[in-house]
Formats: sequence, structure tokens, C-alpha cells
Amino acid sequence: MKLKLKFAIIALLMISYQNMIAQSKTVQGVVTDPSGFPLPGATIIVQGSNNSASTDFDGKYSLKGVNPTDKIIFSYVGLVTQTVAVGTRTTIDVTLVESAQNLQEVVVAYGTQKRTKVTGAISTVTSKDITAVPITNAESALQGRAAGVTVVNGAPGSSPTVSIRGLATMGNSTPLYVIDGVLTGNLSGLNPSDIESISVLKDASTTALYGSKAYNGVVMVTTKKGKKGAGTLNFSSYAGFQRITKRYDVLNTQQYLKYAKDLGSDLTARAAEFGNINTNWQDEIFQDGVMQDYNLSFSNGTENSTGRYSAGYLKQEGAVINTGFERYSFRANNTQNIGRLTVGSNIGVSFSKTNPERASGGRTLLEHAIKMAPYLPVYNANNLGGYQGPSTADGQDAENPVRVANLGYQYIKGLSIIGNIYAEVEIIKGLKFRSQVALDYFTNEDHTFIPSYSDGSAHKQAYSSTAETNSQGQTIVFDNSLTYKTTIAEKHHLEAVGVITKIENKFQNLVASSRYYISDEIDQLRLQDANLASTSSETNNLGYVARINYDYDDKYLFAISGRRDASSRFGSNNRYGNFYSVALGWNIAKESFMANSIFSTLKLRASTGTTGNDLIDNYQYSGTLAANYIYPINGAAASGVTAGRASNPDLKWESKTDRNIGLDFGLFDEKFTGSFEYFNNKGSDILFAVPLPASVGSAGGGTQTQNIANTKVHGFELSLGYNDRKGDFTWSAVANLGTSKNEVTSLAPGVTSVLGGPSGRAGLESFSRLEVGQPLFYFWGYQTNGIYQNQAEVDAALGAGQTTIQPGDIRFVDRNGDKVINSEDKTNIGNPYPDFTYGLNLTAAYKKFDFNCFITGVSGNDVFNSNKFDLEAMQRLFNASTDVLDRSIVQNGVVTNPSATLPRALGAGQNWSSASQRYVEDGSYTRLKNVTLGYTLSGDAFDNHFTNIRFYLSAQNLVTITKYSGLDPEIARVDANANSAGIDIGRYPQPKSIIFGLDVTF
Amino acid sequence: MRKIKYTIAVLLGIFTINSCNDNDLELSNPNELSPETYFKSETQVQASVNAAYANLQTRGLYARHIFFALDNMAQENKGNPQLEGNKKPFLDFSFDASSDIIQFYWETCYLGISKANFVLDNEDKINALPNSVLSQEKKNKFLGEAHFLRAYYYFLLVPRFGDLPIYTKQTIVGNPRSPKEEVYKLIVSDFDFASKNLLSKNVEDKGRATKEAAFAYLGKALLYQKKYDEALAAFNKVTGFSLETNFYNNFMDETEHGPESIFEIEYDEKLGVADKWGSDTAGDGVAESTLRGQEYGNLGWYNVYPSDNLLDEYEPGDKRFGDTFYVPGSKYNNGNNTMTAANFSSSEGLRRAGWKKYQNYYKRTDENLDSSINFKVMRYSDVLLMMAECESLRSGGVQATAIGYINQVRARAGVPLLATTLTKDQVFTALIHERKVELAGEQVRFDDIIRWGIASTQLAGTGFKAGKSELWPIPNRETSSNPNIKPSDNNPGY
Repeated sequence: MKLKLKFAIIALLMISYQNMIAQSKTVQGVVTDPSGFPLPGATIIVQGSNNSASTDFDGKYSLKGVNPTDKIIFSYVGLVTQTVAVGTRTTIDVTLVESAQNLQEVVVAYGTQKRTKVTGAISTVTSKDITAVPITNAESALQGRAAGVTVVNGAPGSSPTVSIRGLATMGNSTPLYVIDGVLTGNLSGLNPSDIESISVLKDASTTALYGSKAYNGVVMVTTKKGKKGAGTLNFSSYAGFQRITKRYDVLNTQQYLKYAKDLGSDLTARAAEFGNINTNWQDEIFQDGVMQDYNLSFSNGTENSTGRYSAGYLKQEGAVINTGFERYSFRANNTQNIGRLTVGSNIGVSFSKTNPERASGGRTLLEHAIKMAPYLPVYNANNLGGYQGPSTADGQDAENPVRVANLGYQYIKGLSIIGNIYAEVEIIKGLKFRSQVALDYFTNEDHTFIPSYSDGSAHKQAYSSTAETNSQGQTIVFDNSLTYKTTIAEKHHLEAVGVITKIENKFQNLVASSRYYISDEIDQLRLQDANLASTSSETNNLGYVARINYDYDDKYLFAISGRRDASSRFGSNNRYGNFYSVALGWNIAKESFMANSIFSTLKLRASTGTTGNDLIDNYQYSGTLAANYIYPINGAAASGVTAGRASNPDLKWESKTDRNIGLDFGLFDEKFTGSFEYFNNKGSDILFAVPLPASVGSAGGGTQTQNIANTKVHGFELSLGYNDRKGDFTWSAVANLGTSKNEVTSLAPGVTSVLGGPSGRAGLESFSRLEVGQPLFYFWGYQTNGIYQNQAEVDAALGAGQTTIQPGDIRFVDRNGDKVINSEDKTNIGNPYPDFTYGLNLTAAYKKFDFNCFITGVSGNDVFNSNKFDLEAMQRLFNASTDVLDRSIVQNGVVTNPSATLPRALGAGQNWSSASQRYVEDGSYTRLKNVTLGYTLSGDAFDNHFTNIRFYLSAQNLVTITKYSGLDPEIARVDANANSAGIDIGRYPQPKSIIFGLDVTF
Repeated sequence: MRKIKYTIAVLLGIFTINSCNDNDLELSNPNELSPETYFKSETQVQASVNAAYANLQTRGLYARHIFFALDNMAQENKGNPQLEGNKKPFLDFSFDASSDIIQFYWETCYLGISKANFVLDNEDKINALPNSVLSQEKKNKFLGEAHFLRAYYYFLLVPRFGDLPIYTKQTIVGNPRSPKEEVYKLIVSDFDFASKNLLSKNVEDKGRATKEAAFAYLGKALLYQKKYDEALAAFNKVTGFSLETNFYNNFMDETEHGPESIFEIEYDEKLGVADKWGSDTAGDGVAESTLRGQEYGNLGWYNVYPSDNLLDEYEPGDKRFGDTFYVPGSKYNNGNNTMTAANFSSSEGLRRAGWKKYQNYYKRTDENLDSSINFKVMRYSDVLLMMAECESLRSGGVQATAIGYINQVRARAGVPLLATTLTKDQVFTALIHERKVELAGEQVRFDDIIRWGIASTQLAGTGFKAGKSELWPIPNRETSSNPNIKPSDNNPGY
């Protein structure tokens, strides 16, 4: 009996066991991307269990122990996760599609996060967006694609200006760039085609982990890694040209001669000497620049290792003569798994050569070009050097811009190495330790050689001159982190991260110049009239970082982080700063009451936190002596030393409190997606080099860096995306809109306002001003109200007896009515920040055709157009805008043409030297940034010599709609220095370009 | 288990390495000197004085703007069309508080004052140096130079702006304006200190302030306050000087620091010009040349030309005319070349003359941006004429003695000597003429006609407005950054 019973029990157990086996099954299949490529390394997991698998090289998987009632989740980095009910099937093939807007796995500080678990404000741009449009620098990929991010390009080889969520600081507003965990200052050495994704971290809950560096937001770049599977070889290339089509409308020779005569100079004979020619100096400095770009990459991976290797070459001729950029870039990314240990490295090396836009006499080429007398020829073989410039007989002194640009040369050769090496070990399940050393190293050699020349009496050099600046910088970041990740009772997900990070930054440079009187043949330095100087500096940072993320069942999200940071830029009193963030999220769509709603995503998020800023010059807290003074004594140079910059031992961190509320939504299975963000940030103790009273005579710039102001910035961002498919036709539209409004909320005790910033032109007064209740660095100047038509009007406004202001001069508004025009009459005449910025990205594909169209713009900002000073000031004779033909003409004390909009020529100094509404214009624009049409050929028809090949034709900046009179409203809008925002000093305009490209995958 | 131990040990090790100590965060600037350890040697004390000289050379002063501003206001210049817009208002007195030239002038003078104060603030440190390191005589001399330079800069400022904020120590807090009498009091006491402590020209290095220079400027500062007897006493201590036989020796590079020269602003292109387009005001870097030659030269930029009024002032046979101006027919380039009428062309037509004083054409065919010719800002002939003025105007002054001083100057110029019987008024008229022709283009005349009270008549029709144009406005840069000087505190009419 006993035995029988035992058998019976065993049999029963066996039966029931068999039943269990019979109920569960093995499911297998292939995971592919929308184009049918197998996806190796995709994750397959049974919902609510630990039962998981991943796909092999061919995208195949096999998952045991699956019940018909189970749901299987298929996920892959960058693609929309799919959940499939198993039912009776044993083979489940899945195609994972890309989302119109969101990456499902998002790169965040010190790790990655699922999009559904993100509680902060993050915009992402994927490699697909980046390579859809040919760009020469990585920063451009963000333009118009990430809400609240503005990007403005400059000359070839220069780093674009990027700002995130408007301006909250008064100093450097450049965000922090992080390439694969390496902190760096820009992305210039990075080949855009090596980028997998870019995440822009916009609020404190995402940026606080970078503490003192994160004030201006963080741009996280992840480079492409090798993928498991057979090796993939890819070649891509584009070629095209760019051109600047807009010109200032300036006087031709005939008009200029008449204008000169009106101003008292008869140049008729002089023009006749040169044969009454008509030189279009703007055409002389602009050219069609040819661009070409080649990239080759190879990627592969085995069970335990992946690798990707790439090389790129870019050559870009500028649209301005003798400017250009050339870059060779190389990258190798590797990972190795050895049991619980993962080691890897991501290393990029680039060599570049930039021919910058050359300037002379502190003036841009454009300024010279628009001021040059049109009757002068470009070349004159009789002159030393071969160029013609003005002499005293021409009564002006603009330089020949073609000589400035083309005589001799200037190049900047750069080497950049950015990379990291890391090791990660899983100590116990869920607990990982990671150690990473990152390096950002660069060298720059800036060499200028100018042979002797003589353009005419005004511009000449009797010797050849050589100048060279060599700089070298290195940043080493050493991070050690512990991460613990666990799930308790299936629904409590917890992740904790602790990091210690140390940053050491060193910089040194050597500046040398010399002259040679004997010959123009030698373009190297020599010990004749030589100057030599070197400087070096060092900055160290130390940070302790902690973060805890918790969620209950993916529904209720909670994140908290803290960082304690030290910077050597501050004195010992205030060296450490503490930063924190707290964030909450609620995935409403996961609630049971939403089970049958149209919402596939609905998430509410809120966060607050603090970040800091130490982007000031080094050593500001300590007093120093300035030793750079020389005076000839006994015919020798006697050195002078005096008290230097006014030190401020109480300098402390600039800090910012961010508050962000966000709502993400997706409807109809993510066909329609969107997010809305509202932010309200407060900056405190903003650092600024405050101008000291001129009369105290402070050497070293006459400023003292102080924690001077508090500011606030608030605004909202909206992104909407829609994608649809009808048969072979798929399309998507993504639109984004961002606003930001900043204001100074308080200034340090005793400070009522601060005037700063360059006016852009010598002789034109400064006008960027800080004042409580106003935007940062708004334009402060005189309002204008027409032109005085006769003496009675002048006397009525300014009282009788004064002679400075006469009929034909601009009527400045006497705001306080005291009949004297002085700075007490100045007011806000312009706000350099737009009310909103926007972007619209349309993509469509039909069979083998693809199409992309991208529009971006800003609205509501003012630009201070310094070029108007060159073109319309009429302070002395230069070539000028054709608008001067309609200037006020005064006869017998009366303006004879009352309709004239410009004042009289050679009028009162205030007409041109005072900052006034005369120079301020609406800077709004809408620009068709890009249009691309592509066609993809499959390799099937070509004996599979390649997998596929895509051809495309692309055009940039084709159409711009704006009222702005300058060459480019886009460049006019920003500058890296906050206090020159919105001042157009004639920077390198954005060219139009047309490009043909191809992309082959073998 | 052992593995875990190792792992933990390694981890701890890494964390220890990482958590660096505060020494890594306490960095000192390797590029600049530290004030704590300064004033330890003669070289260091000397360097602190040298720095205060450097502002004399800036574009705000003698490298560019001062000669335009003052020569234009005095109507010694007229402007050619290419004259830049910021320099034109000085021809017709239409400048206002936004003028960059006025701002640069103000800033560079106050920077020089601050640098002199840096030396004087450390007087105790300097005096505490053992005499074996620095003799008492040299300590006094260096302090004397600082006092001289501080007074020199205040004396550049006070005729231009009137009441001034006074600083006798370095600070970052702006002061309100003090009455100009207070400023003169400081100037006199500084020059007085300097005159007692500086070395004589015959032993001092060329370029430094000397005892005689201090006496000359002390006298000039007293004369500007109409304290004729005291001024004369100071001038009488300017000894050891004589007039150059050849007037033009005062304006060439090779004949600097001659017997007539009392104080010069030094330029020497050979020492470097790399930073000449740097700051207009700071005086930093290597910028050892002046733009005077290029700016004024009729074969250079020819921005200005001598006015008819000035050219017509010269008596027939005055040798100074040919040394002050080039006209068609003048020889240049060591006598190898001759100026033609076409060399005086402007886009408005031909001019009568161009400046010769301080031009390099005497030895070259052209100017460049870098002239090495020093400005002789205090010449013995100026002292003689000021002595004549003091003697003539002081109570009990002997006119014949005054005329004797003037005649020393006239004798060299080859013009008839004045009769010793002239009346006081006639002497004054003669002085007006003599200073105008002797010191033309040397930034003296405008101050002369202002302090003589004859500006409204001399400058009639130019835009000069009595009660306003005597002074420049305090620049906006000051009123916007100094809470103690508001725009409404500005000079009358601005």
C-alpha cells in the first residue's frame, strides 16, 4: 500500500508535470527591421517573467517555456517595442519599426533609460535624421529637430553656436557635450556619419548629474557601435557646391561719383585714371565652394565582441574666397565580453585644416567689400603684391578685401583625439562596477604668412610677416561608478547609481611672430622683429554623484539625484557646490482604466533640480599682477608690472533651479505622437565681468567678475509627430515649437544697470544692457522719430541756440522732455531673443523613393544690424547702400525731400555714433533648410554585389523668407558670448548648397 | 569569495585614487605674478613704475587720439574728407558723451593714475627694503616718478573735464567729482614731491621723468592757476637747458633728448609694434610706435592739413614755417626728393601744405603705421614762453625781462626781435602769436586760448560754444559704471 501510494503520487506528479510541459511550448521566429534586414541582438522576453532570449546573427530566436496565455515583448534599441500575444502560434516573426519621434531607449547621464521611464525633458535625434541631410558638423543635426534647441553655423570649420532653452547666463552659453561619456567642448572632430544618436538633456532632472557643467544643458552623443552579425561594409559619399546669393545693394561707380561730389569730393578724374570701371567687390569675395565628403565603415560582431571601424574625409571650400575646411576622421569602437567582465573602447581621431575667413584692421572682409570705392580695380600689376587699394586721393581707407583674403595664407591645422576605455564587471547579479578613463586631447597650429605689399598709399607693408600660435589642450575624465538594478516582487523596479568623477584640464599655448625685410620667400619664423609669449592654465573638477530611479510597475516613476562638485575656478571659501534633482512620472496609459483608450502612450512628468556653472576664466578669485607693459627707456624696452585684474575671493557658483512639467502622448498605436513641456528656470548668482567705473583705472579689462544677478527663463516646447502608411506609401511629419523668455530679476546691491558688449563697429557706442525687469542684454538706445525738417523743428525740440543738431539730422525721442538728448532718454529699442523657434520635418517614401523636407525658423527677435553703420552712416565717404541716394537733402536750412528716410550726409555725430532704432530690425525668418530626394536600388538585380545603394539629391537653404535687410538673418541672431546676442557684425553668411550623394551597403 | 575580496580591494583602491584632495583644486596662475610676493627687489620696484609710463603711449593719448583732438579743436588742423567720423567732431565741437575718443582719453589717464597709485600704495613695502637692496635715494626717486606720473595724468585730465573724481589709492569703488581746485592741489603737491626726489636729466635714464621736468610741470600747473610768482619760481629751477640751434632737431628721431628737451613721450618701433591695434587704453603689450606720421602725413593718410589761419600766422622769414610744414617745393628724403603740388591733393582739391613736424619724410619717401619719433611734450622754448607770461602778468612783473624770454625764442626763428619797450598788453599779444607758431601742432594752443579766455573770439564760427565747449563731457562709460557720477552730473551743455 505504502508503495502503491508512493507510485500513485509519483505518477500523478509526473502526469501533472507532463501537463505542464504540454501547456508550455517553444516559440521561435525572426526579428527584422522595416526593410527586411534581420536584427541581431534584439531582446525577447515573456512579459512579467525572467524568461528571455536574444536574436542571433540572422535575427533568429528561440524561446522555451512559453504559455499560450503569455505575451512576448520584442525590443531593440532605437525601435518601437512590440508586445505580441502568443496564442496558439509557435512561430512569431516580428518587424520592429522606428518611431516617428522617440527612441525607445534613451541615452542619459551615466547610462541609458527606457523612454517610458524617462521623467525629464530629453530630445533625441537618431542616426537616420542625421544622415538624411548632408551636414559637415555634428551640431547641425540638432537644428530644428530638437525643440528648444537653436543652432547657428559659421564659417567652414568653425563650431556652430548651440543654445538650449534660451539664455539664462551672461557668460558662455555653450552646452556641455558628452561623446560616449567623454566631456568635451564641441563636436568639431566628430564625423556626423559616425553618430548613432544625440540626446539633448534639457531640464535639471536629466542634467543635474553633470552638476557644475550642466548649466547650459547637455548634448549626449553616442557613436555607432558594432552590431552582432555578419560584417557590414558601408560606403557613402556626397559632393556639391555652395553659394552665397544675397548681396548688399551698394552704389555703382556712377552713383558713387555723384555721391562723393555731394560730400565734397570730386573723384571723377581719379575714376577716369582707372578707366571708369565698375568693380562689384561683393562678387569678388564670394565664390562657389565645392564640397565633398567620403565615409567608409565596417561593422561586425560575434557572440562576445563587437567592433565598428570608420574613416571619413571631408573637404569643403567656403563660399567666401580662400576659406575652407578639410577633415580626416577615424574611429574605432570595440566591446569585448569575458564572462562577467565587459571591456571596451571608443576612440576617434581627426586631423583638420581650416582656412578661416581673414580680416584686416579689425574689420571683416564683408565690411571692406561693401565700403570699397567701386571704381578701383582689384588688381594692379604695378603695385607691390599686385593689388589696388585706395590712396589719399580716394579719400577713404577700406582695404582691398581680395588682397586681405588672398595675399599670403592662413591655416589652422588641428588634431583631435577623443576617446574612452572602460571596464564593467557584474559583481553580483544586478550590481555593476564600471571604471572609465576618457581623454579629450587637441592641438592647433594657427599659421599666418603675409608677404610685403603696397596697395596704394594707405595700405602697405614693407616686410613679410609670419605669425604662429600653437595650442594644446587635454582633458582627462576618470569616472568610477557602481550601479545596482533590481526588481522586487516583480513590480518594484529600482536602480541606484553612484559615481565619483574627476576632471583634469590643462591648456597651453605659444604665440610667436616675426618680420622679414629681405625677402617674401620665407614663410617661417625668424629672429627679426620677433615676439614670443606662452601661457598655460589648469582647471580641476571633482564630483560625487548619486542617482536613484524607482518605479512601480512602470506606472509610477520616481527619480532623485544629487551631486557635490568642486571646481578649482573658485576660491576655497566657495569651492564646493551641491546640486540635486527630483522627478516624478505617471504612465497614465498603463492604468487599467485606460486599457481600451486610443492612447498608446500618455505620461505626465514633473521635475525640479539645480545645476551650476563655472564657465568663467580661470584664476579669477586670486589677485595677480599684470606684467605685460613696455616703455622705451634709454632705447631699450623696460618692462612694467602693475596690479592686474581686480580679484574677487568671494566668487561662487552660478546656479540654476529648473522646473519642468511634461506630457508625452501617443495615439492610435503611436501613429500620432507628441510631447509638451513647460519650463520655468531661475538663475542665481549669475557670474558676469562687471565693468568697474572707468575712473578707478582697473588694469585687466576694467572689469571684475562678480556673482551679479538673478534671472529667470520660462517657456514651453511642443513636439508633434504623425506617421502613416498606405500600401507602399509611408510618410511622417514632425513639428516642433519652442519659446523662451528671459528676464533679469535682480542685480547685486548697488548695481542698477550694466552696459556691456561690443557694438560691432568702432565709433558706435555700446548698447547691450542688463537691467532688472528687462531681457538679458537688451538693446538700450534712442528711439527715433523721423528727421528734423527745418530749424523751427530743431529749436522746438532742443531749444534755441544749440548748433550741433541741425535740420536733416535724426530726431531722437526726448523721453524725459528736458530738451536735452542724453542717456536719460535711452530705452529698450530691441530684444535679441525670438518669441519662438520652430521646425517642421516632413518625410515620405514611396517604393524606392524617399523624400525629406525640413523647414526651420524663428519669430519675434530683433537684430542690431551693424552693417547699416557701414552702409548708411554717411559719417565720411565710403561706398554705401543705394538707400543713401534717398537721404535728406538740406538747402537753406530746410529739408527739400521730406519723404527721405535717411538723415543728411556728414550730419551730427549722434546720427551714427549713438545706438538708436535706426540700426534695429526685425530678425524673424522662415527657412527651407533642406530638401532631399532619394532613390534606393536593391542589390538583387546586380548579382548581389551590394545589398543596396541609395542615391540622393539635396538642397540647403534654398528659400528664406524674412524682412531682415542683412545678408543672413540666421547668423545675425546669436553669438557665443551672451552679451553680443543679436548683433550682426557681418559674419559668414549661410550659403545655399546643392549636393548629390550616394550610400552603398555591401 | 576571494575573488569578491579582491574586487572590493581594487574598487576601494580606485575610489581612493579618484577622491583627490583639495590640493588639486587650489591652483595658482602660472602666467601672472602674485601681489603677495612683489616689491622685493630694485627691478620689481622699477617695473611697477615703468608700467605707469606705458599709458602715455596708448592710442587714447599720443599714439593716436590726443593730437587729433587737441589740434583739431585749436583749429590748427582742418580735416580732409577721409578724416574718420569720430575725429571730425573735434573740428566743430559737436562731440558728446558717447565719443570713443573722449572715453579712451579718460580711461587711459585713469589707468595711468591707478598704476602710479599701485606704486604709492606700496610705499611702505618699498621703504622697508634694506638699503643694500635699494638705496634711499632710489626709493625716493621711484616714488618721485610715481608722483610725477600721477600728476601728469591728472594734469591731462583737469583742463579737459574740470572737476574730477580723485583717487590717491587703488580701489574698485568710484568716487564722485571733486572741485578742480582740489585736483590742482594734488597735482601741485605731486609735482612738488617729484621735483624734490627725482634725478637730474644729466644722470637719469633717457625717457624717465626728471627733476627738471617736475619743476617745468609744477610751474605749468601753477601758471594754469594764475599763480605767476610761484610758477616763475618753479620755472627758474629748470636749469641746464638751451634752445636747439636747429629748430627741426626737436622733431626728428635721431636728435631726441637734446638740450631743449625736458620731457618726451617715448616711441621706438624697433622694440616691437605687435599689439598696436590692441587696447586703446590699457598700454599693455608691445606697441612702441605712434600713428602720428601716417595720420598727418601728406604722403600718408593725410587725414588733416594745416589750416590757413595757422599758415597765415607766420611772419615772413620765420624759419619755423619750413620746419613745421611741407609745401610744394619742399625737399624731403634727405634732400633727394621735392614735394610737388600733387603731393597735397585731396578728393576736395589741392591743399596749401602738410605737416612736417613729427613726420618721417625728412629721411624717407613715405610714412608707415609705425613712427618712432618721440613727442617733445615739454620743450625749453615752451618754458621760456611760459616764464615770459608769468613775468609779464605777475604783479610787479618787468616787461623787458618777459620780452627777453620771448626774444630768445624769436632769435632762433630768425625773426626780428621785439622791442623791449612793449606794454603788458603788447607782450600778451606777442605771446599769443609766439606760442601759436612756436608750438603749432604740439597740443598746446587749445589750452592756451581757453586759459587766456580768448577761445570764443579765436574759435568764432567753428561751432565752439562758450560755457560748454571749454570742457569735454564726462564719457558715458563713466556715468554708466560709476554710481557716484550720474549723467546729470555732467559738464554744462552735455
